Amino acid sequence: MGRSPRWLRLLVILYVGALIGVPLVFVFQRAFVHGAGALWSALHDSSMDAAIGLTIRVVLVALPVNTIVGVGAALWIVRRPSWVSRLVDRVIDVPLAISPIIIGLMLELAYNQSGWLGRPLAALGLTVLFSYPGIVLACMFVSLPLVTRQLIPLLREIGSHQEQTAASLGAGPVRIFLTITMRSILWATAYGVSLTLARVLGEYGAVLIVSGNITNLTQTLTLNIGANFESYNAYQGFVGAGVLATTSVVILLLLGVARHRERKRHEHLA
Amino acid sequence: MSISLEHLYKSYGHEPVLTDFSDVVPDGSLTALLGPSGSGKSTLLKMIAGLESVDQGRVILHGRDVTTLPARHRNIGFCFQDYAPFYQLSVFENVAYGLRTRKVPKHQIQADVTELLELVHLGDFAHRYPRQLSGGQRQRMALARALAIKPDVLLLDEPFAALDAQVGAELRGWVRSLQHELGITTVLVTHNQAEAMEVADRVVIMNHGRIEQVGIPAEVYDQPANDFVRAFLGPTTTFEGQSVRPHDLLVARSGDGVAAVVRDVIRLGFEVRVVVAPASAETIWLQLTHDEAQQLDLQVGENVVIRRRN
Amino acid sequence: MLDTVSPPPSSATQPPRKGWLLWPFQTLARRTSQGVAVTFYSLVVLIPLAALFSSAFTHGWGFFWKAATAKEALAAYRLTITCSLLAALTNAVAGLGTAWVLVRDTFRGKAILNALIDLPFALPTVVAGVTFYTLYGPKSPVHLTLTGTWTGITVAIVFVTLPFTVRSVQPVIETMTFNAEAAAATLGASPWRVFRTITLPTLLPAILTGTGLAFARAMGEYGSVVFVSNNLPFRTEVASSYIYSLASAGDPVGAAATAVTMLVMALVVLIAVSVASRRLVKGS
Repeated sequence: MGRSPRWLRLLVILYVGALIGVPLVFVFQRAFVHGAGALWSALHDSSMDAAIGLTIRVVLVALPVNTIVGVGAALWIVRRPSWVSRLVDRVIDVPLAISPIIIGLMLELAYNQSGWLGRPLAALGLTVLFSYPGIVLACMFVSLPLVTRQLIPLLREIGSHQEQTAASLGAGPVRIFLTITMRSILWATAYGVSLTLARVLGEYGAVLIVSGNITNLTQTLTLNIGANFESYNAYQGFVGAGVLATTSVVILLLLGVARHRERKRHEHLA
Repeated sequence: MSISLEHLYKSYGHEPVLTDFSDVVPDGSLTALLGPSGSGKSTLLKMIAGLESVDQGRVILHGRDVTTLPARHRNIGFCFQDYAPFYQLSVFENVAYGLRTRKVPKHQIQADVTELLELVHLGDFAHRYPRQLSGGQRQRMALARALAIKPDVLLLDEPFAALDAQVGAELRGWVRSLQHELGITTVLVTHNQAEAMEVADRVVIMNHGRIEQVGIPAEVYDQPANDFVRAFLGPTTTFEGQSVRPHDLLVARSGDGVAAVVRDVIRLGFEVRVVVAPASAETIWLQLTHDEAQQLDLQVGENVVIRRRN
Repeated sequence: MLDTVSPPPSSATQPPRKGWLLWPFQTLARRTSQGVAVTFYSLVVLIPLAALFSSAFTHGWGFFWKAATAKEALAAYRLTITCSLLAALTNAVAGLGTAWVLVRDTFRGKAILNALIDLPFALPTVVAGVTFYTLYGPKSPVHLTLTGTWTGITVAIVFVTLPFTVRSVQPVIETMTFNAEAAAATLGASPWRVFRTITLPTLLPAILTGTGLAFARAMGEYGSVVFVSNNLPFRTEVASSYIYSLASAGDPVGAAATAVTMLVMALVVLIAVSVASRRLVKGS
């Protein structure tokens, strides 16, 4: 057998093309089927506007918070092991394996008026469910491990010798992080952040339960697409889908760049 | 089973790796392909095995043109530098692999493999796994595995490179006597000149994909064909504009020779290095034996003369 | 190897050279950050998880059991497990082939192929769902009607889980040196035999892990499946849909009970896969 047989290459291209390529192209085709003019006015439909606005506001909070927490957690687990960090390490992948509907249910049970967290928060006058904070919470839950999972094996592999050398030269923890650590984890973090963005933008099941899906108020773009489709507003749905498909393609590019740069960094050392 | 290599050429893209390589490896001999990294020797070995394709030229095993024959039909034994163990199989199964492929009957496999494992001193390890073996043991297992199929030719790719000095030295001697006993035509690739000199019947010195010299070890050492060979096979120093061996020079307090001043005397146990600076040239260093150095008792700053021995 | 060599001088083991006055504050800061991390994880992950379990057993074991084994629930499990298993196994093979080509082959456009593999990770599930519905539902441009069928559900799941199997095997193939394959060839093995006895056993742990992850993900999939399945109870209702219907029908305890059952099943699968792949690696 040579490097890889010709027939396998053709088979794989066909499989991936049919399974992934065709649907992707199809989304854009459907979004443009009535031309650019109709597309433009559909994008400015009031509920679509509200949905896009809400989604952006969710991303603006969920993404930076999860990035900071994710990087911090990875550093904490690898560099300062303790029984707590070991527990967190074990538990960290849990959100990825659970169905989003179950996640939504879990959050609803914990944060509703009689829930363990909902009750004290209500006493403080804070509501989580059926509002912006709940949606942010759900999106953070589902994407929490994504950055950390990328960084833990990387930090282990890199080892702390560089950081220790910097410390011996007089650098404090913040300076060490900014000048040494960040440089080696940059592209892996970028990869994780891109995955986080994708997950936050694309979350459906969990947000469906937690938000109550109230049009114009607590309806994210994904919910908006679903609602349009259910009310036989297929075109409107595909316009929304087109927006998200576009962001997905951009995210794919980001992932590719991050992966490429990370490989370069790795080879440069070997 | 002699190996005849005729005008072999190979390039990777635009990079030539082998240029017009021709040699005949006599039946039953142990030939070393010696050269620096990138000289093409590993590629050549793989071409003999059928693991790399030939751009131009022919590979002939015992009169049969095998140039386009795939590796699995050539009946050669190959040992990789990293031993390439089959990690998920036991030592016994590793050695038995070629026999099982040939559908040799079970009892025959049991007999053959046990005998081979005894031969390589791994009799007690039959049911261990490669991960549990040391480097030297894995090397011996790789050898037994290759020998199991009763190959016509044995090819070893830098077999001792990854081993400790001590283990490597022991294994070298053992491989040499094994090869003599079995009489299999063997080609060994190495970048270590001491290894080639110690183990091989004949040495082929390669550089940049070409042959620099072919001969028996003593011949290539004493009569190197060019400066590259001389420098590769042993230490050299420059005397009177020529490249010579440091132990071919003599130092004396008087008599014929090039005048020089002693710069340094370095005692390395049996060998003593004397660095001298002649008036008009760069420094020369000589090798003296311990006894010679003791007799002379040179001091730094002394005036001496340097000439060739003999 | 976890690097647990001593941390830089400004730790609790010795006062730092500079700013030694700050030392008690730094210890406090460290303990606080530990506290913050614990609080964060509790709020977001652990407490809701506990709330789920607690809710499931609100009416005791009997009710839990009745809800978890309701006829509609059993039908949902059967559908979900069958389709997830089929999809995971399909992608186990497809993922291996795809990863093989991505690592070992070279052709123009390979980078695009590599990037496309991640699309199911990047694309929102609802987008996939509505696209598949339009693509092979009523009014399908290719005249397929797979909506409302187990096949249609399986196809959607295959889409969603392909990256798992590809990306888990890909790094292992990348680090293979192929010397073992070459050695096997010199010993007389045909390419198929080499693949079967040497290559596949090396890749098996990674294939198993990837397939396990794909299966776990598939069992919980909602957004892409709910549109193509038509959600007919007992016929084409996946487990997550069933849970949602219970929750929105005002039966949170039943929903929680079913959810807990699903979680336990997923956990069992993940543990089994982890044990199996560790068993495989141990022998090698």
